[in-house]
This record gives sequence, structure tokens and C-alpha cells, in this order.
Amino acid sequence: MPGSASTTHRPEGLIERLRSAAADGGEAKLKVLRELKNQIIGNRTKKLSYIKLGAVPSVVSILSSASSSVDCLLIQCAATIGSFACGVDAGVKAVLDAGAFPHLINLLSHSNEKVVDAGARALKMIYQSKAAPKYDFFQHKNIEFLISLLDKNNENVTGLGASIITHSCETNNEQKILADAGVLKKLINLLQGTTSQRESSLESFATIIKQNPEVITKFVGPENSTTFGSLLELTKDRYPRTRLLACICLTLIKNATSSSSSSYLQSVGIRTKLILVLLELVDDFGQVGDEALFTLSSFIEHEEDLQKLAFEANTVDKLCHQMQKESLQAKRLEGIFTTLGSLCSNLEPCRSIVLQSPKALIIITDALTHTTTDVRVAACICLKNVSRSVKYLSAGHFMTEAVIMPVIQLLYDASTSVQVAALCTVSNLVVDFRTHKSLFIQSGGVKQLVELSKSMDSTVKLNAVWALRNLMFLVDSRCKEEIFMDLKLFPLTRLISDSNACVQEQALGLVCNLVNGPVDSIMYLFTEGLLLNTVGRELRRASKPQVLVQAMYVMCNVASGKEFEKEAVMQQLVNEDDNNQSIIVTLLQSDVASLRTAVVWTVVNLTIPTGAGALARVVKLRNAGVVSQLKNMVNDPCLDVKLRVRTALGQSMTFGDFST
Amino acid sequence: MSLFWSVIRQLAEIEAMATSKKVITRDEWEKKLNDVKIRKEDMNKLVMNFLVTEGYVDAAEKFRMESGTEPDIDLATITDRMAVKKAVQSGNVEDAIEKVNDLNPEILDTNPQLFFHLQQQRLIELIRNGKIEEALEFAQEELAPRGEENQSFLEELERTVALLAFEDVKNSPVGDLLDISQRLKTASEVNAAILTSQSHEKDPKLPSLLRMLLWAQNQLDEKAAYPRITDLFTATLEDPTV
Repeated sequence: MPGSASTTHRPEGLIERLRSAAADGGEAKLKVLRELKNQIIGNRTKKLSYIKLGAVPSVVSILSSASSSVDCLLIQCAATIGSFACGVDAGVKAVLDAGAFPHLINLLSHSNEKVVDAGARALKMIYQSKAAPKYDFFQHKNIEFLISLLDKNNENVTGLGASIITHSCETNNEQKILADAGVLKKLINLLQGTTSQRESSLESFATIIKQNPEVITKFVGPENSTTFGSLLELTKDRYPRTRLLACICLTLIKNATSSSSSSYLQSVGIRTKLILVLLELVDDFGQVGDEALFTLSSFIEHEEDLQKLAFEANTVDKLCHQMQKESLQAKRLEGIFTTLGSLCSNLEPCRSIVLQSPKALIIITDALTHTTTDVRVAACICLKNVSRSVKYLSAGHFMTEAVIMPVIQLLYDASTSVQVAALCTVSNLVVDFRTHKSLFIQSGGVKQLVELSKSMDSTVKLNAVWALRNLMFLVDSRCKEEIFMDLKLFPLTRLISDSNACVQEQALGLVCNLVNGPVDSIMYLFTEGLLLNTVGRELRRASKPQVLVQAMYVMCNVASGKEFEKEAVMQQLVNEDDNNQSIIVTLLQSDVASLRTAVVWTVVNLTIPTGAGALARVVKLRNAGVVSQLKNMVNDPCLDVKLRVRTALGQSMTFGDFST
Repeated sequence: MSLFWSVIRQLAEIEAMATSKKVITRDEWEKKLNDVKIRKEDMNKLVMNFLVTEGYVDAAEKFRMESGTEPDIDLATITDRMAVKKAVQSGNVEDAIEKVNDLNPEILDTNPQLFFHLQQQRLIELIRNGKIEEALEFAQEELAPRGEENQSFLEELERTVALLAFEDVKNSPVGDLLDISQRLKTASEVNAAILTSQSHEKDPKLPSLLRMLLWAQNQLDEKAAYPRITDLFTATLEDPTV
């Protein structure tokens, strides 16, 4: 042969021989299959080029026509098919399209254990891919087959069973079917087996219990202490991945039951232990360490006590130190920011450490422009929670161009989740003292916030309005005017009447902040008389207390103005022509204390005895039944209400008690 | 004994306690050691674990027959594993790869670093044998794509290809790659991966027990003088130096 060894290795040559081997058969099949297998194992590029050249159907055709007595041929076929499916979705698709599935299933009942191994491995590879078909757990025979797999004394076959579960079990119903069929118990038994059995069983165990308190209480509760004990024991296993998976299962158990009466994992000792195990795993710079970070953040996310424990275990220092490392992978950065974000959501000491750690804030803000979406989101949320530190916020620590510019840039991001995270961060950052707000406004932030407040996505819209509301808080008149100019009247009235009560609440809060402060601010409400009417209409129409409270505070702020403004509020609240109970009395009778407070405050502002129309207003309010309603409230259970009611009554009395 | 001398003796004892360490004589020590019970089966298992992990398959087979100790692994797989190891050690990397794939195709398919190191070793062997053209082609077709997938692979690849740039390779900064130790490193990496895939620990337990012995002795040295073992080979107890 003139050609060198390497030219026969060329895909085209090998494909040729594979095709002819598939057609004529004979000894050549085995040789060419083995060659193909050794070419593609571990080599993604070669897999893809052979898939393109159509190698997979030829291999499957050899498998389908092979006699079940030629064990080594079956093994080579299955191994080659398995490798095509390993780590390459296009390979899984090619394998399935070529009809390999039923042939591989047949191999599972072969008498030669090595053939069974090869078949199970190939099927396992298929099920480890997202491209695999969903396994139907609702069919009884499928469950039976699955259990028969888990019962086999072969780690590849049990591994296949576990992979099927991990791949296909998604809904609560599926979880319940599997748990009721005794699958959890079988998986627990497999924990005694080999390392790979232990790991695949833990993975499917986690899949079955995930966010399913019903399954957990029934199968993992104290009466099944062996299960719980085994999991705890495995957090000390010598293999990092096993420790991680055990921690994942325990975290899922804790999170799913933390709101129910029978919550597990309450012992501080165990909780601390788990945090320490996870922290140690974080030192691994591979996948295990990455996943450990996400597990840790999900473990501590909703409980301040756990955040404290993690803080005491020096988590913050460790992560601040780790993020300084160069060329960290995206997943690692995301994990670090997510965990730090969790820790800084409540605990001021955590924020202090982050802010005092050299370069930490720079690294976080740098990550706002990272190419990976999830990293941008995580960094942004981390920044938001760090900036909850009133001490640092009010010192103007965040209103610097280095922080603000990239955050504003994120408001233009193509991903909605980034936009929402950026809006939440902006909301937080702009609750700063007035001197620092101008930077945000000058940088063009307001225009984009206004743009996003018109978004079709309700979360984006809500958070944009929220950010505007916070921006408007205690802002100077010049900035206020700029914001109002950008926002414009009609969009604002539309937001106040939005179909989403949460948006309404924030929009009314925004108006409240707009009219707060210098008296001339109130004038914004009287531009064409529209805003005040809209707010008044919502007071009569809305049902959500939060919306009513905000609307009432708008009225309250306006009522603090001059005669003209007070009269305008009277018109909105007390309707003389109507025989029905006026809205102000209805609202005074609310069950919600904060709403009663807001209404009474408004009455206080309306009845301030100085001013020409004061007496007339008191008379009107009395006729509307407000005074007698107030008298019923002198012993209101809410102290705030009680005090203001007394002030309001006192002011009304200055003009004499009309009740006699 | 007069009161005076007895006081002096007591003082001396107190002083000894304060300044020097507790002394344990050979007799006391041996008595203490004799009280520690070790089961014969455990000893046998440790020996079997050593033979199996280190790959002494014939010895393991003999030991199994003579002592009745069952190995925790199919002895046939040891032969396969040792064949792979030997192939790498003697520079037949392609052969080693084929053998690993026959043993368990998952190993190299799910362990990119090991796969890269084997391919790198293949390249080194081509260069060592002066097959420059083939080496370049191999680097281009097989290794370059792996470098694109992983930054650290790319750096290692560049270092390996640098072998072609030096006339006196042995004395070049990358000369270590041609060293026999590089083969041994790769061989031990494959060996460990195969053992892990068989759920077997990659290191025998015996050396760690000895390490623990040395460590414990070092700890004890600070508190006491006792007959210690310094020579692991003879394991003789040496008289305490007071």
C-alpha cells in the first residue's frame, strides 16, 4: 500500500470501508468497527465529522443484522453507538434516527454480561443527553421495566435505570408515581454499591424529591431514619462528587419542607456541618466546586439564620478571595456572585467585608459586562444586595460612574432577566441622597427606565416603575422636573390605571414621591387636572389595600397644600350629591391598619384649622359621616391610627362640637 | 531514707516532669503493643489490596489460593490494566488507547484531560522517533481541536510542539517531556483512571498506614521518649534516647 498510515485514518476512507463491511459482512466488520470506535472516543470533532458522513446508520445496520451469538461484534457496535451518543446531542439524534434504540434494549437481556454492559452503557449515554426521548412513567409496564433495571446486579444497568429517572422525571405526578412504586427505596439500597452506582442513585434520588414535600414527608421523614442517616453519612464520603450529591439531596429536603410543620434539618450542628462540607468542595475548581457553590446558595437563600452560620464559617472572605483569581470560568463567577448575593441580602457584616475587600466591587462591576448572560444577572443581583448597606449607600459609595454606567448599560440588555436584575439594582442604588442622583439622571438612565415602563413584559414594567418611584424619592426640584418631562403625563396616568395592581401600587408611590416635598411639587398633579382625577378614580375603583394606601397618601400629600389643593381633594373624597356612603368613610372602616392610617392623616391635613375654607370642610366631612366614624375609632387597635384620630377630632372640635 | 533525701528526690522528679518528656521503656512499650489486637484477615486484606492496586496479578492469584483472601476486584481486569500501563511505559500509546477503549469506552470519552495527555504522549513518541511530518499532521488534526476546547490544553500543546524547535532537545526548556518520567506520569494517570472506573481506590492502603505511623510518631515525639520505628524496612523498635 502506497498510502501512509495516516491517510487510511481519513474519515472518507474509513467510511468507505465501513459501508462495504456493512454490506458484505465477514471478518472486516469487526476490524473496521473497532477502528471507528477508537477514532471517535474522546474526540468530539471526529464524532461530528463521522456523523455528517453518515457513519451511524451503517453501524446500526451492522448491529441489527448481527447474530446474537457473535458477542464481540455486538459489543463493538454498542460501544461505537454509545460513543457517538456520548456528549454530543447530534450523535444522540443520529443514533435514535437510525433506529438503534430497540436493538440496544435487546442487548440488555443477552446472556453475556459484557454484551449487557456495552448495551447499557450506550443507552445510558443516550439518556444523559437532553436530546433523548422522554420516558413515559405513566405506563405500568414502563415502571416495571425500570424497576427490573434497578434490581439488576450490574452497575451499568442500574446506572441506566438511574439515568432514565434523572432525564425524564419532571412533574410532581411523575415523582409521586416513582416514589409510590418503591423506587426511592431501591435507590437507597444502591447507595451501598460502587461509586458510580452511588452517584447515579443520588442524582435520581434528588430528581424524585425535588420540590416535592409530599414525597419527602412520606418517604424521607424521621420514620425512614435510615435514608436520612445514609445521606448524612455520605456527606463524609471520600469522593467529592458523592459528598456534593448528598449535600444536594439534604438541601432539597430542607428547602421543600422548611415552610411546612414537619421541617427537617433543624439541628444547628448538622446545618453548620453541611455548610462546611460545601465550602470545602468549593475549593475544587471543576464542576463539583461550581455545583457546590450553587447548592450552598440555595441552602442559605431564604433563611437568615443559615446566612449567619455561613458568614461565621468565613464564606464571605473565602469567596472574596476566590473571585480575585484570574480567568475564572463563567459558572464559577456566577456561583460566587449568587452566593455572595444571598449572604448580603440580609447581613450588614457580609456587605462590609465585600466592600472592604480590595477589588471586590471592581470585580463585581466588571462582571456586569461579562459575555455570559447568567454571570451578568448574578453580578447585578450581587451588586443590588451589597448596595442594601445604608451606611455605604448614603456615603455615595455606589453613585460613581464606574458602577452606574455599566448598570445603565444593562437596562438596554437583550435579555429580560438581565434587565429585571438591573432594574432591581437601580431601584436600590437610586434611593440615595439627593446629591448623588443627578449622576444617574445625567447619564441617561431615566429615559431608558421610562422606555422599560412601557414594556410588554409585566416584570420588566413593574420593576421599571419601581425604579422610577425610588428615583423620585427625596429628589430635588430640578431633577424632579427632568424626570417628569421624560415620563410625561399620559404614560403616568396609564400606569396608575394598569391592570396589574403591583404596577399600580408602584405608579401611585411614584406620584406620591413626585408631590412630596416643596409645595410647588403638588402642581404636577394639576397639570390638566388629569393625574388627581385618575388617582381619585382608583380610590373608588381599586380593591387591593396596597393600591389604596398609595393612592390615599397621594391625596394626603396634596391635602397638605394650599386651600385650592385641599378643596380638590375634598371633591375627590366627599361627594355631596350622592346618597351612598362617601368613599372616605368606607376607607376609614377598612380592616387594614396602614390604610386607616393614611386616611386619617388625610383628614388631619384637611381639617387644619387655619385657612379660609377649614370650617366649611369640617362641616362637609361631618355631614358625610366622617366625624362620627372617627369617634368610633378613638380606641383603634393600631396606635398610629388612634393618635391621628385624636388629632383629627381635636382639630374638628376647634370649630365647636356640632353633635350637640 | 532520710527525709532530706526523699525531698530531694521528689524535687528531682518534679523537675524532670517539667523539663523533660515522659519516658517509656522498651518493656512497657512492648507490653502496650501486645495489647493491641489485629485480625489476621485484616492483614491479609491489606496485602491483597496492595497486590491488586499495584497490579501484581500472579502474586495476587497465588496469595488468594494460599490465604483464601478474596480480592475485591476481578483479577482478570488487573491483567488488562497492567497491559495498558505497560504499553504507555514502553511508548505504544496508540495500543494503550485501544486497550483502554476495549476495557471501558467511557473512560476516555468522559475524561478529556486524560485523553489529551494520552494524545500528547503519542505526539511526544512520534517526535522522539523522528517522525516529524507525521507528528505535525497528528498535532494539527488530533490535538489542535482539543486545544481550541480548553485553554490549558493549548498551553501544553504549544509546549509539546516546541520540542520540534530545538536542535538539542534534551537540554532545552521542554526536554523534560522526552524524559522517561513523562511516560511514567501518563501511565500512572491512566492506571488511576481505570482503577477509579472500577470503583477501586487508586492508591494502596499500606503506604498510607505507614505514613500515618510516621506522623503519629512525630506527634508522640514531642510528648514522650519511647522505642520508635525509624527504619520502616526492618520495623525494629529503637531504644528511646533520654
